[in-house]
Amino acid sequence: MNWNDWLPLLLIACSLVPGLIIFGLAEQRVRLRTTLNLSGSVINLLLVAWMLWGVYHGQHFETRLPLLPGLDLVLRAGPLSLLFVTLSAVLWLLTTIYAIGYLEGSPHRSRFFGFFSLCVSATIGVAMSGNLITFLLFYELLTLATYPLIVHRGTEVARHAGKIYLRYTLIGGGLLMFATVWLYTLTGSLEFTPQGFLHALGDEHRPALVMIFILFIAGFGVKAALIPLHGWLPLAMIAPAPVSALLHAVAVVKAGAFGIVRVVYDVFGINFATDLGVTAPLAWLAAFTILYASMRALYQDDLKRRLAFSTISQVSYITLGIAIAGPIAAIGGVVHLVHQGLMKITLFFCAGNLAETLGIHKISEMDGVGQRMPWTMAAFTIGVFGMIGAPPTAGFITKWYLGMGALEAGQSWVIWVLAGSSLLNAAYFLPILHRVWFRKPPKHWPEEHDFGRQETSWMLLLPPIITAFLALGAGLVAAAAFSPLAWAKLIAEREFY
Amino acid sequence: MMNSNFSVELLLLGVIWPLLLTLMLTFRKGRTLTQHLLPWAALPALLASLLVTPSDVHWDFSGVLLGSALGLDATGQVFLLLSTLLWTVAGVYAYAYFPQSAQRSRFYAFFMLAMAGNFALIVAQDLPSFYFGFTLMSFAAYGLVVFKGDVVALRAGRVYIVLVVVGELMLFVALLLAVQATDATTFNAVRIALVDADNRDWVIFLAFVGFGIKVGVIGLHVWLPLAHSVAPTPASAVLSGVMLKAGVLGWLRLLPIGGIALPEWGSVMIVLGGISAIYGVVIGLTQRNPKTLLAYSSISQMGIITLFVGVGMLAPQAWSIILPSIAFYALHHGLSKGALFLGVGILGDSRRRQRRWVWFGLCLPALALAAAPWTSGMFAKNLVNSATLYASAPWSAFLPVLLSTSAVATALLMARFLYLTRPAAKPFGLVPVTGLVWPWVVLLLAVLLAPWWLESSLAEQAGKLQMIKSLWPILLALLVTVMVLKMNLFHSLIPVPAGDILVLVERCFKPLYSMARKELGILYFCRQILQRYAFLMSRRVQNVMASILTSEKTFTLWSRAIYFVVTIVLGISAMAFLVGF
Repeated sequence: MNWNDWLPLLLIACSLVPGLIIFGLAEQRVRLRTTLNLSGSVINLLLVAWMLWGVYHGQHFETRLPLLPGLDLVLRAGPLSLLFVTLSAVLWLLTTIYAIGYLEGSPHRSRFFGFFSLCVSATIGVAMSGNLITFLLFYELLTLATYPLIVHRGTEVARHAGKIYLRYTLIGGGLLMFATVWLYTLTGSLEFTPQGFLHALGDEHRPALVMIFILFIAGFGVKAALIPLHGWLPLAMIAPAPVSALLHAVAVVKAGAFGIVRVVYDVFGINFATDLGVTAPLAWLAAFTILYASMRALYQDDLKRRLAFSTISQVSYITLGIAIAGPIAAIGGVVHLVHQGLMKITLFFCAGNLAETLGIHKISEMDGVGQRMPWTMAAFTIGVFGMIGAPPTAGFITKWYLGMGALEAGQSWVIWVLAGSSLLNAAYFLPILHRVWFRKPPKHWPEEHDFGRQETSWMLLLPPIITAFLALGAGLVAAAAFSPLAWAKLIAEREFY
Repeated sequence: MMNSNFSVELLLLGVIWPLLLTLMLTFRKGRTLTQHLLPWAALPALLASLLVTPSDVHWDFSGVLLGSALGLDATGQVFLLLSTLLWTVAGVYAYAYFPQSAQRSRFYAFFMLAMAGNFALIVAQDLPSFYFGFTLMSFAAYGLVVFKGDVVALRAGRVYIVLVVVGELMLFVALLLAVQATDATTFNAVRIALVDADNRDWVIFLAFVGFGIKVGVIGLHVWLPLAHSVAPTPASAVLSGVMLKAGVLGWLRLLPIGGIALPEWGSVMIVLGGISAIYGVVIGLTQRNPKTLLAYSSISQMGIITLFVGVGMLAPQAWSIILPSIAFYALHHGLSKGALFLGVGILGDSRRRQRRWVWFGLCLPALALAAAPWTSGMFAKNLVNSATLYASAPWSAFLPVLLSTSAVATALLMARFLYLTRPAAKPFGLVPVTGLVWPWVVLLLAVLLAPWWLESSLAEQAGKLQMIKSLWPILLALLVTVMVLKMNLFHSLIPVPAGDILVLVERCFKPLYSMARKELGILYFCRQILQRYAFLMSRRVQNVMASILTSEKTFTLWSRAIYFVVTIVLGISAMAFLVGF
């Protein structure tokens, strides 16, 4: 019995326990609720830091609880898990601060923060799952916990979006369950193993394995918003800004992408998957998603909707990096898990600031907003250049690694996809920047709230500035010892190859 | 001469200082202090360019970007000197150019970002850092181009930014392919590896076009006359004087010239450079706005540099001589063109006496560009001429003719320019106040002194003074101008719209574009029909689903339900745990 055996469970408890307590709290107890939320996430962050240090030095953290005969509930903190956990923990803290500012004075906050914490617990669970069954458990919990957040406003549109979301994700979950059971009947094991555990299976099982792979991709593809399974995502942007931010940057979309990473690397094993011939079609699908979603984004006037299509495109970078099937591209894909999170959450925070401070929802209303909210828009600008992939932002590092990885793997068509995607990103983001910085502001904003001397409440302003700073820093010192990139290299070294 | 640690710190400070000042601009506190510091944003870099001894050593910053390397080689030093000088002068000039503090801060924000990018790309010795500087400079310059905010400026900005993005992407791919040839990211390693890399021709092509957009090679030049004439004068000076040179530096740094003969590419560059050199003058002669004329003159002069690089590709054995010559040519053109732009900006006084002084001042850089004896232009021209000796057979006969033509043409263009800005002409730009005049005079001095900067190894070759040879283009141009004036022909010249071929292209593509829109409309219509159909089909499914999802109505129950489920799960696992032990 070791302290390290309990840490993964404790990590989940850090967000779960405050969440459960908050459900029971009365609406007015703002201070207690805030204290619970913040202390939970700070403790969470400290634990994560401790575990990062431990894993870096080769320690093992694993909680194993018997679930069914022969199947355990396994929570394990490997390098890959911790990458996702760290992202969740950092962004959870920031989003909590942001949400407190954003929802000030609005109804049903206990319910909101309760589910919010639950959502984070589920994400951390997904990240640390040591086998498929644990993964699925938390993955489904995530679906259930996010649904109330999406329909939080309770309007007709919100409920419609929620309904579509549930329909997509539940069907996706069903496919996953089916695939998992099928796999279990073939192998009798669901444990995530570096380099996969399927290559030992005989040749006669290959058609079945291909089918299982397709089922997995179809199941995870729903949350990872691979085209044509992306339909729910642009609708779900109806949720309050902090939810969209978390949904697009960490929780749901990333869980899907993470699932694909797990399946390709820890279930099938990249070499075996390439051998089966399933990675190439996946790469094509990802490339198509990247370009198609960017094209769709061009035509959106609603800011959050444009960002949503941008997410669809950007998350597929992760899938693309995995599917190129080379170590360098894998680093690019995995590190984009963090990079895209930082950049996209910045953009959503900023969109939320615009809506909450000035009542701006549409891009056509953003003329000259840079003069009214310079800090918010500076953060937004950094996010935008990250999306385009301009140095020294994090997006550049991703594109560089994906490009180098593609060349190394002999798939040079990918660099044209990357260039095309950058071009489209520039085409739908730079006009926004032009409006923001170079047009004259209107006499009246649609719905202005007064925040005194500041451009907006500090709780709304601080999180995007921090994330923008991180997005910049992750690129600027990418080659340093403790950057996301360095960690991604560690992952590729220890777990993938 | 200089402690190497101090050198690198000074170089780094040169890049960081303008960035720091930009950041300081955003804070309300200490704004007055910041305002006073603004004109001196380029000063640390200027010091660095004067104090740091050029060498091939570079310093590694292994944690930055993908591992950065900073350094200052001989070529870099010339470019850095040119850039810092011009940025400093333009920076001081801009302070008086924008008397209002709000407008000034706004201008300086973009100005200093572009400046930092420019310095970064010069001292960068590795590809990603160079690319970072190039990107920062290109995007920040957009703010300078559209600064006036009117329709013309916005159009110029649109053309500019589209070309910037296209160029950025081509460079991105070029850099990827180049780095893939070796594992290192430093220019020195990449250049060597590119000599026999598989993707060499792709890299050369992409870099030629990507940097060519910045340089303004014919066909890619359309943004240049639009942007340079519409930007505020101090911005035009740096755009034309130094930012174009960033593209040249990009070629020099990345392309494997000198390591291998590249006859095809060399020919392409010579041809395109030659066409640019003549074309720029021809279109420039028709212009009535002196700033547009100067922009076309830049296209022409950059054409000569392009040609020069092309000669280097043909004759790798002479590269060690040609490379510093190109750097000197860039220095000469940058200083002269900067001085011309800044001078044009202060022709606003209606009194002839005042204007006459400015006009005399303008004569100096104009003569330099026309390669009058003992100006930097003559040295530069001699260097080009001697470089053509290294070119192989067909070119060695053709190039001297081309260069002579170009010399006459440039002299003509400068005559036209001096005519347009003559004291009797309409006032143009601002009234010359002290704050505008003295930085300009400093720059004029720099133009005057530029030949002394020439490397001693080249001085002999460049300094061969053949009075007749260097005077006849100017005399010829003068003769033609006098004739044209006598016959009153200038007025019958109809200016070609700035952006020349772009205007043509736009006219050709307009019908195509509207057709494409219509086609898209049909696609959209089809999609709507399909969607409608899918919607009707899914209705039935929806009804079934809806009955399952009625729990939505009792929405508040959700929290309790999950609470319940989680508690049970926790309880069971706790029990299982206890039993397990």
